[in-house]
Amino acid sequence: MKKNFSVVGRPVIREDGFEKVTGSAKFADDLKIEGMLYTAMLRIPETHAKINSIDFSAIEGSQYLTAICTRNDIAGIKKIGVIKNDQPVFCGDKVVTPGDVIAMLAGESEEELHKLIGKIKVDYTPLPVLTDPLKALDENALLINEEAGTNLIVHHPLRKGDVEKGFAQSDFVIERKYTTQLIEHAYIEPESVTAIPMGVSRGIKIIGSIQNPFTTRRIVAAVLNMPLSKVRIEQSHLGGSFGGKDDTMCMLSARAAVAALKTGRPVKIRYTREDSILESYKRHPYIMNYKAGFSKNGKINAMKIDIIADGGAYVSMSPFVTWRTVVQATGPYLIENVHTDVRAVHTNNPYTGAMRGFGSPQPIFAQESLMDEIASMLNLSPVEIRRINGLKAGDKTATGQTLQNHDVNLLTVLETAVEKSDFTNKWKDNRENKKILFEPDFSNPVLKDNDFIRPEDSIKRGIGLSVSLRGCSLGGEGIDAAAAYLSLQSDGTIYLNCGLAENGQGLKTTFSIIAAEVLGTTAENIYYLELNTGITPDSGPTVASRSTLMGGGAVKNAAEIIKQRLIPLIKSEWKLGDEEEIEFAGNKVSASGKELTTFPGLCRLAYSRGICLAAIGWYKSPDVHWNEENGQGDAYFTYVYGCQVAEVRVNIVTGEIYVDRVTAVHDAGKIINKLGAEGQVYGGVTQGVGYGVFEEVTHENGLIRELNFDTYTIPTSKDIGEIIPVFVEGDDANGAWGAKSLGEPTLELASAAIANAVYNAVGTRLYNLPLNLEEVMLGKKLRPVNNKRGSLA
Amino acid sequence: MNNIEITIPKTLQEALELISGGNEGIGIIAGGTDVVAGMRQGSNRFGGINQLVDVNHIKEMKGITGAGGIVTIGAAETFSGIISNKIIRKELPLLAKACGTIGSVQIRNRATIAGNFVNNAPCADTVPVLLAYDSTIEIKSLAGKRELPLAEFLKAPYRTQLNSDEIVTSIKVPLPKGDFKGDFYKLGRRRAVAISRITLALLIEIKESRINRLRIASGAVTPIGTRFNGIEKEFEGKTADEKTLKAIASRLGERVIEVTGLRWSSEYKLPVVQQICYQMLYSAVYGGGK
Ligand SMILES: Cc1cc2nc3c(=O)[nH]c(=O)nc-3n(C[C@H](O)[C@H](O)[C@H](O)COP(=O)(O)OP(=O)(O)OC[C@H]3O[C@@H](n4cnc5c(N)ncnc54)[C@H](O)[C@@H]3O)c2cc1C
Repeated sequence: MKKNFSVVGRPVIREDGFEKVTGSAKFADDLKIEGMLYTAMLRIPETHAKINSIDFSAIEGSQYLTAICTRNDIAGIKKIGVIKNDQPVFCGDKVVTPGDVIAMLAGESEEELHKLIGKIKVDYTPLPVLTDPLKALDENALLINEEAGTNLIVHHPLRKGDVEKGFAQSDFVIERKYTTQLIEHAYIEPESVTAIPMGVSRGIKIIGSIQNPFTTRRIVAAVLNMPLSKVRIEQSHLGGSFGGKDDTMCMLSARAAVAALKTGRPVKIRYTREDSILESYKRHPYIMNYKAGFSKNGKINAMKIDIIADGGAYVSMSPFVTWRTVVQATGPYLIENVHTDVRAVHTNNPYTGAMRGFGSPQPIFAQESLMDEIASMLNLSPVEIRRINGLKAGDKTATGQTLQNHDVNLLTVLETAVEKSDFTNKWKDNRENKKILFEPDFSNPVLKDNDFIRPEDSIKRGIGLSVSLRGCSLGGEGIDAAAAYLSLQSDGTIYLNCGLAENGQGLKTTFSIIAAEVLGTTAENIYYLELNTGITPDSGPTVASRSTLMGGGAVKNAAEIIKQRLIPLIKSEWKLGDEEEIEFAGNKVSASGKELTTFPGLCRLAYSRGICLAAIGWYKSPDVHWNEENGQGDAYFTYVYGCQVAEVRVNIVTGEIYVDRVTAVHDAGKIINKLGAEGQVYGGVTQGVGYGVFEEVTHENGLIRELNFDTYTIPTSKDIGEIIPVFVEGDDANGAWGAKSLGEPTLELASAAIANAVYNAVGTRLYNLPLNLEEVMLGKKLRPVNNKRGSLA
Repeated sequence: MNNIEITIPKTLQEALELISGGNEGIGIIAGGTDVVAGMRQGSNRFGGINQLVDVNHIKEMKGITGAGGIVTIGAAETFSGIISNKIIRKELPLLAKACGTIGSVQIRNRATIAGNFVNNAPCADTVPVLLAYDSTIEIKSLAGKRELPLAEFLKAPYRTQLNSDEIVTSIKVPLPKGDFKGDFYKLGRRRAVAISRITLALLIEIKESRINRLRIASGAVTPIGTRFNGIEKEFEGKTADEKTLKAIASRLGERVIEVTGLRWSSEYKLPVVQQICYQMLYSAVYGGGK
């Protein structure tokens, strides 16, 4: 299947780059329509409360008010969800988390609407609050969703072999507990959506910063009680999503649509950063208990894992997020005996759902920290322990799946990363470096003579690595297929479109490259069309790093369909024999090395002969199998592999971690879009460092403290050093020339690599993310005693 | 956010007239990086304001001049302006460094020095430095002008001695006479656009192996930027050896507990501020510091 590529793998400038860099790209909030209304949300500052009554009398008749929208205005379903319909569009008798919206006002002035909100009287009774996920399954725990009858959202068991036997055969058995924090996607563009009523027979049109237009359409249609075909969703340029503009955008689209139908006018909802952080879902905090049995020689014999994920108040994507966790919780290791339980539970905390990584960053932090700890107990290096246990072709994963039909490149990415970063030498040097440690003791807050550390002793260097395997696309989550539309024009330019969405990851460019490669033209000749659910075939959600794999497969298929229509034409036109090889390259068409015509010339000819130059390509994933009872089966149809090495400096006096360099080696299969792929690595690693060191949404009894970027500290360009992307291009029969997944793998590895590097630097193992100042110094987090800020006094 | 009228006077006289009426609804805006953010957050400090007097275009309040061993900085001078000034970079390096740690380039291009200490947040980064340099400020109203040490001007978090008819016009920083060494230190949760968790400004002069003069000021670990005169007195004249430097740092820890009390963050901040103080002293005395 090796091929000489002419466009694939070369750096190609981003399709939407010029518009974005010059500021002319239109984002959702740039849309302004004559007569458009704005909105304001009614919430109460409570985590859990019974609503007794709402009194709108003080604002009724106000000149600034066009409509009050409540649940009574909803013709269809009143609760929505991407998996389960449990989240009220407008709350009725209860709020279960502080982001909940009770009603929405629509009017011409946002400012006046906000004043009106303050005049509405909501009579409510605060209820007891459940914030500790470990108490969610207690017998007498209060129920977040009474209809469900339990706070258990989902339980994924996995049983392979016999762990007790495995522990009994082991020389050592250790148990460790790891926790990870709640984090925010922090897309730079807050949510914005406009709903435009199109008249009774035409339904409604919605334009917004929407990650998954087809999911949004399904939910809006159900809320409005309209057929799918009458709800048209158009995607604006998206200012970041990272999995975050799914449920929330479905919700806001539904609210805007309800208001648009009620008022007969276009309605825009746009969120401030505070609204966004308050209401949008986040990444699941995990509490993970790992027990591992291993032999003196380093072989892991058994692993028992118990994980609780805090799903917050709504189901959202919890069942799928935790499903990926159960599949990948043991990491990329061959372990005979595995016993895993992953449970997602309800609390009154901010709800959690999809976020880039999707149930993998948490267990990777745990399992890769654990591997290093086992290695150091046995006096093995981090590389040796992984060589001993790492999965190879033909090995069986924890779910009993045999890894086959693709290059199983785990050890290749590991060895490549080790070599590129000079890991082994650095790791040894750091370890042998004399350690001077400072361990503050709060019972004696004033330091004594020998507590003090000289400046030259305060910085310690460390290097650490982590590895992963990741199942590509949706796997056992559900139907997995995508469509692309390709249309050649008579002048040789091309329209291209796909049902997967451009969420900033650069798929327009990647897909253009694929089509250009097949047809022997250049990406600049391709004009990428906007995603509109009225025109583009449903291709499922743009998630799970599936665009290049699934959408790329569909684009390639579309281009090949057309090519197969053109070849007979060429052969008859130039009277070529069957054996002649037709080549499309460099905007030219040739036969056995002899140029016949240009690509535009061929298009003109085909057009004049009445050949259909448009096609819909389709790509459907191979089947997967899953047994929910024992967590066994072929979970995903293929996998990718990654290894990241983090080099850090730890300041033992302040607890600061400087990430100086990350070497990121990924086998994402064939690299189609080189610049795009590197961009994924830079962004993903930076987000991974944010997750590992800087970011945390904390809350006091469910009320979030960090509602803006002054206190929610995503890393800046000054907070991370060099990032070195390295690609190992393994073969795979799937997708376009074996191009697979990269977006999420780049994010999932850094936190564990950093934690391992910190251990290499200072000899202290940290078990709780983020590795912020207090965690490094004290091994715990400190929280303000209340949410009041002095600056507001 | 409120509907606000903004007036842009060209002269100080005009500005002083605008605010002279005792109207509670009038406020001053310079860079606006505290005012606008505060209004948007619904801070009570700016709640009643419906008119803002913009002081950015008043010539008398801009510019940096040096004469008679004193550097005078216009109150409406931006941090970017201050950092790019040669005299300040050479003679007042701690100030240049502190200004360089504020926010981001965009913030430094707008935010002014007076805005920083009039706002008087515990984490105002220039305050400890200005205190260590013994700065005084000049305030004017229609009634006249007054000059007072910055230390006196700052009362409590977000509170100063400024009256509603007054404008800060300049800040005067005497050039330290003698062979001072020292540094400004800032610790935040990240390396840019960071709210300070700890700041320290330190100047030390050694003569014949003894501490001749010492100046220490903190921010963020104390309710407002604070100069530690007591510690300075106590250790002036002592031998500048490691033992003394450690003793100074420990004493700072004790004083911070006295001034601030024990807070949720003390378990982290207290040991760190002492270590940092020791390291800054160490670098100043044994090299490494500026
Ligand atoms: C993103 C961001 C990052 C920031 N980072 C930092 C940081 O790292 N360190 C830091 O210390 N601060 C930081 N700040 C806070 C702020 O930028 C500083 O406090 C700045 O110095 C305020 O100056 P300003 O000119 O913008 O003040 P303004 O907001 O215009 O005014 C602040 C206060 O001072 C009053 N005032 C201003 N000038 C005068 C005058 N001449 N006479 C009388 N009263 C006056 C105003 O009435 C107001 O009460 C940050 C702010 C933002 C938004």
